[in-house]
Amino acid sequence: MTDSEKLIKLKQLLLNEDREFAQNILQKLEDLEETVRVYEKLSEKVNPIIDKKFDAFIEEIPSKLGPTIANALTKSQDSVVEALFPMIGKMVKKYIQQEIKTLSDNINNQVQYTFSIKTWQRKIKAIFTGVSEKEIILSEMNRAVIEQIFVIENGSGIIISSASKKESIDQDMIAGMLTAIKSFVEDAFMKDQQGLELIQYELFEIYIKNFTTYYFAVVISGGCDVIFKNKLEDKLFDIAAKIKTDAIDKEQITTKLNEFINE
Amino acid sequence: MNSSKKIVLVGNFGVGKSSLMRRFVQNTFSENYTVTIGVHILKKEIRIDEFNFTLIIWDIEGKDDIQKVRPSYLLGTSGFVFVIDPTRPQTFERLNEELDFIKLNYPTAQIVTVCNKSDLINIDEFKERLLKSNTSIDFFASAKQGDEVENIFYTVGMTKENNV
Repeated sequence: MTDSEKLIKLKQLLLNEDREFAQNILQKLEDLEETVRVYEKLSEKVNPIIDKKFDAFIEEIPSKLGPTIANALTKSQDSVVEALFPMIGKMVKKYIQQEIKTLSDNINNQVQYTFSIKTWQRKIKAIFTGVSEKEIILSEMNRAVIEQIFVIENGSGIIISSASKKESIDQDMIAGMLTAIKSFVEDAFMKDQQGLELIQYELFEIYIKNFTTYYFAVVISGGCDVIFKNKLEDKLFDIAAKIKTDAIDKEQITTKLNEFINE
Repeated sequence: MNSSKKIVLVGNFGVGKSSLMRRFVQNTFSENYTVTIGVHILKKEIRIDEFNFTLIIWDIEGKDDIQKVRPSYLLGTSGFVFVIDPTRPQTFERLNEELDFIKLNYPTAQIVTVCNKSDLINIDEFKERLLKSNTSIDFFASAKQGDEVENIFYTVGMTKENNV
């Protein structure tokens, strides 16, 4: 074996291990390249990590983002209201329009398909009064109803008598608070010989009729027009005429009130 | 027999009128001070011997002078509970004058005077102090501890004369 042959043999012996190592790295690089390039293989490796992170993120949303969202909403409350208001307004408007349409349809049905004596009476009334039949029906549908009636002692606010169509909250408290409100209003405006006559809340009205030592408070639901109020006043005067202030007969007044409320 | 009576709590602001009423009606007490605006009304039914009474208790906003209270709040009252705070002299310095005003304008009503917050003072020393100014107090009560509270409301307005 010549010297050059020996040198080649030596090179082979020395470099063989490096070559194998380089070959391994090359193979791994090719595998890695394939993993990145081929979607299925990449998904197989990456998806479990993403899923794990995503689960952790979902769990942290309430604690991390909750206060941030609440804070952002509070800061921009006016903007949120401004943005929502037109939408809510439209919804309410649409609802009211729908309800009016339903009401109108009901009235039309009554006008067109009912041939009872009452209908003819209504038609005659419409001709003579000049008020349209629809409006008459509307007023009939929204007729004022007396829900409760109280006779309350002026000043003390102590209830003398009461009548109610259904069980109500504490009547002593109502009488006391009504008297306090009445006293406040009458004092605040300091007008002699004048008194609070009406309290309105939503669909109810509290009509107040003052007498010397007591007053009536009548809770009314529905449309309360002048004609109804006139009739109510007449009735209250009738009851008042039977109340003797020197010797109040509570039982007698309660009987009268119950008769009145159930008429 | 069932009878309703209007009881009115009067006195300076912060003397504990609302606390006394809440202790009597709801048996509760809070250290938090909330100012009464206008009037607060609560009721309680009590029984004395064979008689049932419905007490309609008006807790009126505190005023440093009874004459500043809206007169219509005081009309038809069966019994006044005049409350003072022994730790604040301005709440009882004019007590006799204030009581005279009530007696003059509401002659049929019974009046009881109440020293609330009596758990904060030496009652005997305070009585001596009042004696010098010719003032007397009917009840030494504590809304916080509940002392004498029931007695006040069972006493006020229960005389035969003012059974309005």
